[in-house]
Amino acid sequence: MTTGEIEKKLIEGIAAITGKDPSVIKTDVPFHTLGIDSLSFVELLVFVEKTFTIQLIGTDLTKKDFETVQALASFISKNLP
Amino acid sequence: MKGKRYLSGSDWVICTLDHTLKMSTCAGNMSQVVFMLDSPIDEAAVRHHLQNYVDHLPVAFGRVARNYFFNLAPYWKIPEKAGPAINLRVYHVDDSSGREAVLNVLEQTVNRPFQNDNEHLAFHLIQGGSRQSWFAMTFDHRLLDARGAEAFLNLFQQYWLEKGNPDVLDGIALTAPSGLTNWKKKFSAGRNVNRTFIALSRHTPETLPVPVQKDTGFRFALLAFGKQETGRIYDAAYREAGYLMEMPYLLSAVILAMHELFKKRGVELPVHYLIPLSLDLRSADDIREELFFNHVSYLFFQVHGEGVPERGALIQSIKEQMYEQVKSGLPADLAEASYLTRIAPLPVLGKLLHLPFKGKVASFMFSHVGKSSYGYEEIMGGEVENLFHMPRLPIPPGLGFFFNTFGGRLNLTVSSVSGMLHQEEISALEQGLREGLLPSTPQ
Repeated sequence: MTTGEIEKKLIEGIAAITGKDPSVIKTDVPFHTLGIDSLSFVELLVFVEKTFTIQLIGTDLTKKDFETVQALASFISKNLP
Repeated sequence: MKGKRYLSGSDWVICTLDHTLKMSTCAGNMSQVVFMLDSPIDEAAVRHHLQNYVDHLPVAFGRVARNYFFNLAPYWKIPEKAGPAINLRVYHVDDSSGREAVLNVLEQTVNRPFQNDNEHLAFHLIQGGSRQSWFAMTFDHRLLDARGAEAFLNLFQQYWLEKGNPDVLDGIALTAPSGLTNWKKKFSAGRNVNRTFIALSRHTPETLPVPVQKDTGFRFALLAFGKQETGRIYDAAYREAGYLMEMPYLLSAVILAMHELFKKRGVELPVHYLIPLSLDLRSADDIREELFFNHVSYLFFQVHGEGVPERGALIQSIKEQMYEQVKSGLPADLAEASYLTRIAPLPVLGKLLHLPFKGKVASFMFSHVGKSSYGYEEIMGGEVENLFHMPRLPIPPGLGFFFNTFGGRLNLTVSSVSGMLHQEEISALEQGLREGLLPSTPQ
């Protein structure tokens, strides 16, 4: 799966969680500007784990990996099984 | 069907809490949203526009009903026309009276029962001399939840700005399915919820004794943080809990402050605290459509051991519990399973809800509304300096902590049934919360 395809899946997930139209979700802005709070952020974690069958908890995640959709897609791409 | 909106399981639980609160205190399951304004506002204009706005919404004058012969699902019976006139009262306080005088008036207004079973909103205008005013709406939780109430007034402001154009009300959902299908899904959700509750109820939670006297009201303490202070709190949350992890940081501060209070009351070890967190199942963009009724579910946090762990470990534990419950789908399962409760009459369900946890439902309640659903900087011509909530709570526990943010400022309302906390305990709690939320030195 390419980084672009991962970004597309992430946008679908964020749209489902926040109720926003996928077309307004930008990939280069911080998550908090997308209307994500503590709870929806955890929902996003769970979405990522289920969609990409990767375990995020317990990996060497940093705050930077979660600051934008692009950064998260890049992290997922490197950790795909 | 016209004139009828089926109640969800969450709505039915809220109706039950309303019933039990009316049995145990002076009024039902009500809350109040308060706007602090920078100037007085014109009473006549407020009355005129509010009346016109509410006249478009007969749903606000409905009542709970059920047809036992044809359909067991309870519903909200919506009258054909709105009315009678809105309940708006005006109060005057001096410029020099200070915040305490205003808070006293607001405590009276939120503790005043509605006049009849078709009244679910009451409005209050507190004129504070030449420089400021407060506008408050008391609302019945059977009609609106907290974010719904903010969205209701957001829509009113839009209506005001568009000079009473009723088109702004288009698209609000006033019907809902009866929820009498997909029984397998509901029973499966019920099984998952039951397992969670069995696990949670292994230890009876610590609670503060509920005052014996009935017909009492609720008391409120408001901690309002300025923009700079809020920035420091959010920076501290980022450092100590992680990106977007404000909620675990705020909850950890409340748990630590409450643990100090429990210790002074002589709590025995090991401690066991159980804290439900209410959350909104709507996304921010759904609220305008799903304005009315309840869209709330819960997460549950536990602290168990020979004391409360240090801050870092406590935050980590809260994050892990949040992750596990979201992953297992608990909030959605609770909402689905609660449809099964609608078969029970309110007095019966009220008793059933107290069966787990030996009647001690929780140690205290917690809520954190991130972004406000009120999106304007003014209301009815007055600039909104702050917005906060004053909720009455189910008893037990009769004690709760409610964070909200407005205009980049964080507020915390501490709500407690009158007589539960002594004044010196409230003062100590406020001090402990400030210390726990704000880092000791500016960053």
